[in-house]
Amino acid sequence: MKNINQLVFFRFLFIILSQILIFNNILIYGISPNIYLIFLIVFPLTYNKSLFYIYVFIAGIILDFFSNTYGIITFSLLLSAWFRPYFLKFSFGHFDASKVRKTADYIKETSLYQKLTFLILMYFTHQFLLFSIEAFSFEKLDWIIKKTLISTIISIILCYIFILIFYTKNAR
Amino acid sequence: MRRIIDFLIKNIHSLTFTFLLSFSFIQIIDKNFYHNSKFNFYSNSMINSINGLKQNFSEYFELKIINENLIKENTRLKNNSNNIAENDSIISDENYTYIPAKIISNSIKFSKNFITINKGINQKIDVEDGVISKIGVIGIINNNSEKFSTLISILNTDLKINAKVKSTNHFGSLSWDANNFQIMNLDDIPKSALIKYGDTIQTGGMSSIFPENIPIGTIIEHSLPDASNYYEIKVKLFEDIGSVNNVYVVKNKFKQEIKDLEKSNEKY
Repeated sequence: MKNINQLVFFRFLFIILSQILIFNNILIYGISPNIYLIFLIVFPLTYNKSLFYIYVFIAGIILDFFSNTYGIITFSLLLSAWFRPYFLKFSFGHFDASKVRKTADYIKETSLYQKLTFLILMYFTHQFLLFSIEAFSFEKLDWIIKKTLISTIISIILCYIFILIFYTKNAR
Repeated sequence: MRRIIDFLIKNIHSLTFTFLLSFSFIQIIDKNFYHNSKFNFYSNSMINSINGLKQNFSEYFELKIINENLIKENTRLKNNSNNIAENDSIISDENYTYIPAKIISNSIKFSKNFITINKGINQKIDVEDGVISKIGVIGIINNNSEKFSTLISILNTDLKINAKVKSTNHFGSLSWDANNFQIMNLDDIPKSALIKYGDTIQTGGMSSIFPENIPIGTIIEHSLPDASNYYEIKVKLFEDIGSVNNVYVVKNKFKQEIKDLEKSNEKY
């Protein structure tokens, strides 16, 4: 596991670049799918927590720069990063964090429902935070929820395909 | 010291998280115009309601003084009741409506001072309405929420008010130089005007914000610089802005009409 830093760094570059260069330009029902959350979802569990937050922060800043929303993505990404351990526990049950080293193990060893629960929880929370911070008031709650639901569904479909393509290979 | 370091090491993750989160929050508030104004709106309305509460308390303890002042004012009004139409400028002009209001926060120590009053959109107060007291001009409304309004105080270096000398009817502009909170400068009075120490300064009729002939102050010093066609005049205010409490918001009934008319001129 000596090249875990390299692994994280290349994932970081790959996911951020694909979000900026490809997925920011796709519009489905007025929403561009948020692939960048995969970076948070598949982040190694045993990694240093502070470094994890800093990685997430830098990713958010870069994404913010490219979509002209100063700080909004960073803020919601950081909060979702804080929620992640609780959602992991909720959807996969009690697990031994020191044993599981790669997300690929998760993908191999858990059922579809568990994966989907985790993805839905992560995406719904993140999108809800994102849109409510963007609106900055709960007067437009129906707009926030509508946007959240649509983008959650679209992003989850794309995200699941993305994970299946790139991360099952790493398992071996 | 060691304990502090221990504490830091122990909580490094949550400290990092809090630091980054607050940094991004500051960025949201700072860089996005919409979020900035929304945040200011929330914080202002909270601060104003706290100030209103504070004012309620302090008003209770000042009831005795206020009572005495009212008695004094009553006797003065009774004495003047014969020639009320001349003395009480507040009811003389029909083009304006007057809304009584109370000052809930005030400052005179900065160079750009602002005042908050306890009337707002609910009482139909608009931006750019004037605010006066019985013996002076207080300021111009620059911002309002539902229950409160803030106004640019006359003691603000950005504000200029159209004023005239009562005896000669010469117009000039009144401004503040941030030195003494009772002294203001009157500029643009031409050399030809025969002014003297003690002349009264009133509001001029050249703006649609204030009605004409509201007393402002008296001349205490005037000089004519070399090679200049205009006087430099210092005016002492009648009203002590630092202690004023009850004010009136003046609304020009025809402000919109005047504005529209002036706008249509800009085309040419």
